Amino acid sequence: MDVRVPRLAEGVESATVANILVSEGGRIEKDQVILELETEKAVGPIPSPASGTVTKIHVKEGDEVAVGQVLISLAEAGAVEKVPREKRDGQRRGEVSVAAPREAVSVQERPQPKEEPAGEYRYESRSGFPPPASPSVTKIARELNIDLTRVRGSERGGRITREDLRAYIQHLQRIADAPRPVSEKIEKPALKGIDFSRWGPIEKKRISSLRRTVGQRMYDSWSTIPHITQMDEADITDLLALRKKYAAAFAKKGAHLTLTPFALKAAVAALKKYPIFNSSMDEATGEIVYKDYFHLGVAVDTEAGLIVPVLRDVDKKRLWDLAVELNELVEKTRQRKVSLEELQGGTFTISNQGGIGGSHFTPIINKPEVAVLGLGRGVLKPVVKKAKVETRMMLPLCLSYDHRVIDGADAVRFMMELVQALENFPEKELKG
Amino acid sequence: METIATEIVVVGAGPGGYAAAFYAADKGKKVILVDRVERLGGVCLNHGCIPSKALLHATKAIREVDESNARGISFGAPKINLDELRAWKDSVLEKLGQGLSMLSQKRGVEVLRGKGHFEESQTLRVETREGQKFINYEKAIIAVGTRPAMPSAFDLGNRRVMTSTEALEIEEVPKTLLVVGGGYIGMELGTVYATLGSQVVLTEALSSMLVGVDSDLVRPVMRYAEKAFKAVRLNTKVVKMATSGKQIKVTLAVDGVQREETYDRVLVSVGRVPNCKDLGLENTKVTLDEKGFIQVNGQRRTSDPAVYAIGDVVGGALLAHKASKEARIVVEAISGESSTFEGVIIPAVVFTDPEVAWCGLTEAEAKERGIPVQVARFSWAASGRALTLDRPDGLTKLIIEPETERILGVGIVGSGAGDLISEGVLAVQMGATARDLAESVHPHPTLSETLMEAAEVFYGYPTHTLTPKRR
Repeated sequence: MDVRVPRLAEGVESATVANILVSEGGRIEKDQVILELETEKAVGPIPSPASGTVTKIHVKEGDEVAVGQVLISLAEAGAVEKVPREKRDGQRRGEVSVAAPREAVSVQERPQPKEEPAGEYRYESRSGFPPPASPSVTKIARELNIDLTRVRGSERGGRITREDLRAYIQHLQRIADAPRPVSEKIEKPALKGIDFSRWGPIEKKRISSLRRTVGQRMYDSWSTIPHITQMDEADITDLLALRKKYAAAFAKKGAHLTLTPFALKAAVAALKKYPIFNSSMDEATGEIVYKDYFHLGVAVDTEAGLIVPVLRDVDKKRLWDLAVELNELVEKTRQRKVSLEELQGGTFTISNQGGIGGSHFTPIINKPEVAVLGLGRGVLKPVVKKAKVETRMMLPLCLSYDHRVIDGADAVRFMMELVQALENFPEKELKG
Repeated sequence: METIATEIVVVGAGPGGYAAAFYAADKGKKVILVDRVERLGGVCLNHGCIPSKALLHATKAIREVDESNARGISFGAPKINLDELRAWKDSVLEKLGQGLSMLSQKRGVEVLRGKGHFEESQTLRVETREGQKFINYEKAIIAVGTRPAMPSAFDLGNRRVMTSTEALEIEEVPKTLLVVGGGYIGMELGTVYATLGSQVVLTEALSSMLVGVDSDLVRPVMRYAEKAFKAVRLNTKVVKMATSGKQIKVTLAVDGVQREETYDRVLVSVGRVPNCKDLGLENTKVTLDEKGFIQVNGQRRTSDPAVYAIGDVVGGALLAHKASKEARIVVEAISGESSTFEGVIIPAVVFTDPEVAWCGLTEAEAKERGIPVQVARFSWAASGRALTLDRPDGLTKLIIEPETERILGVGIVGSGAGDLISEGVLAVQMGATARDLAESVHPHPTLSETLMEAAEVFYGYPTHTLTPKRR
């Protein structure tokens, strides 16, 4: 039997082979991990569906693979070992088969274009014949440098007519005219080709696929969304006192209480009041999509780079549940065991740099969300309260928002709501 | 010494060379066509396709007279005047040769008679009767073709040991003729001589005649050969030859056992070799493959950017129409078009009795390459037209891709197969399906119906034959 790339997650069509954990000729048990696939922002294990002997490994580490592609061939235990005839793998029974898309990993929740993306269709023939088309059509295609294996033929046997060719070219033109898809590749840096070793010793490292993905998304978000960052500070002296008061109780439940759960709760309060911050802009239909759920992403700094897992239904969870769940999720993310589903569906993101340090910064919106909240490190500052100078712990807040959807006045209101929620954090939330 | 400047020089005026020269001239290029012999047309016209087909046609009358006896129409024994037969054949060649000269002239193609020799990448020296001429060209097209192979063990310097070139001159009808090599040339010329009255023995080193052709297509030809020839010896090697008075003593080896036989004449038809020597190719960047053929890309350009090559001299199928197609491609490539030989379907025809023709994928090739195909066969025994022609010994078959029903190849054996195959070429080249062929009306009663009925066999409802399976 062949083990193929399973359905990974909604909208995720391809992955990179991270580690191959079996070898040809080796025995494996059912559910034993065959290899790990790096997708979007996680590394996922692919377990074996059966026990048996690995007769052939069709991929190598670093390969980009698509859903449905054969990973390994397995001679099942008990079954008669047969020499695999897998040279023509990946092809369906039919002569005309659509090769799986090999586009770069795309951003989740991207509205699917109605037309199939260019490059999806591939004519493959076991006979090795070129796609069926008359010599005159072949000639036109050659002159225009159009690869006929990408043109879907409408006639019997998949024969390509002039009209099919014309439709394909028009399709390409529409794609060229359409707004840039989010999966647009990062432009090659102009530095390409410079020999940096002329000025001193250097070390070269290949950019990991995660780094590439993060970079691509950042570039996409930063270059397509008009960002504004609203800055403010919240007095968290009282909140810290609350935290101290309940820290022991939380520790008993195994929850390390950081500032983030508080920020999550405060953010939800503000999001509920200003739902535009919990929305997305559907560029395809020109609609604003308001979400009646509050799934908040939390930026996690991992060895491999930035990953944003999502906490579901933050509004419905108690603070200490949230703290426990957050700790687990962060740990899972750092070990890169987080599932793809856990990376999707976010409505708003919090990036807390306070654990490391830092003050105000300008976070980049996690598209297709419309706003992101950055937290710096709280510092003691002299604050004038009731005409007296007091020392208070002030937390830097930075709210980046999509100015296409949100105006500055709303941002100020949201920020004020947030500051208010942090400064008057209800103690009942901590009681459990 | 004279130096001429031209855009294109074509070396060799065969069906590749003259086609290239004419097409280039039609596209407005200044062209010089160089050939060693007076009459244009190359091997095809002078020593190949045309004279052999003329002789096959002329002798066909004798074969038909034989068959006619059984149909109640009898003639006396034929009288053969070899000189008149040769003269008629030569008149055909002359007519065609003059036609080519006229076509060159009207197009403004300058024809230089003489041996061409490359001096450097863009200079060709031609030794004409009027002395040496130097041609400075932008692009050269080499189309010098192949010649019959004559292994040195057979090369006695005796005119009784012939290649196809000499055999086509029919100096005499030998009483006994040994044909060495069961390829298409040996089969065709063996048929001519057998009909004229020679006792023909044909030997083939391999286990089958017409090697490479599907065995079901060869079978009717083999049946004919066994009847018309004195003997057909497969798995037989000719070890050596020697002159023995007015005969040739031949040593044959069958299964390691040697024996000697004598023949009045021997026809050596064991393949063809490229005419690449003495061309001065070493003065260009042109490279050859291990068999001595010129290496070219899909556009027929050699390793030298100024030099192209087409036809037999680049190997592949050694067929005139392949050379002519390459002529189109090479001229378009030189004109900056993106034409390529890739994906071009080249039909092959063997003018034996009956004829064999095929194009695209053969059944044998599909098997060898592990390509799953379905084969639909229609026997001519069920064809009304074949029976009225008294030639039911035919077969038409389609090689079909099962999933798409696309016709990948066509094979035909039978009277007139060479003309019938063109429809197959059209079908394969157009990417037609068996359904397309089945639904195109074919006139009755003709042999072309066998193509339609073969397609109907694929679907399980042929009119004139029964088939167990239905689709």
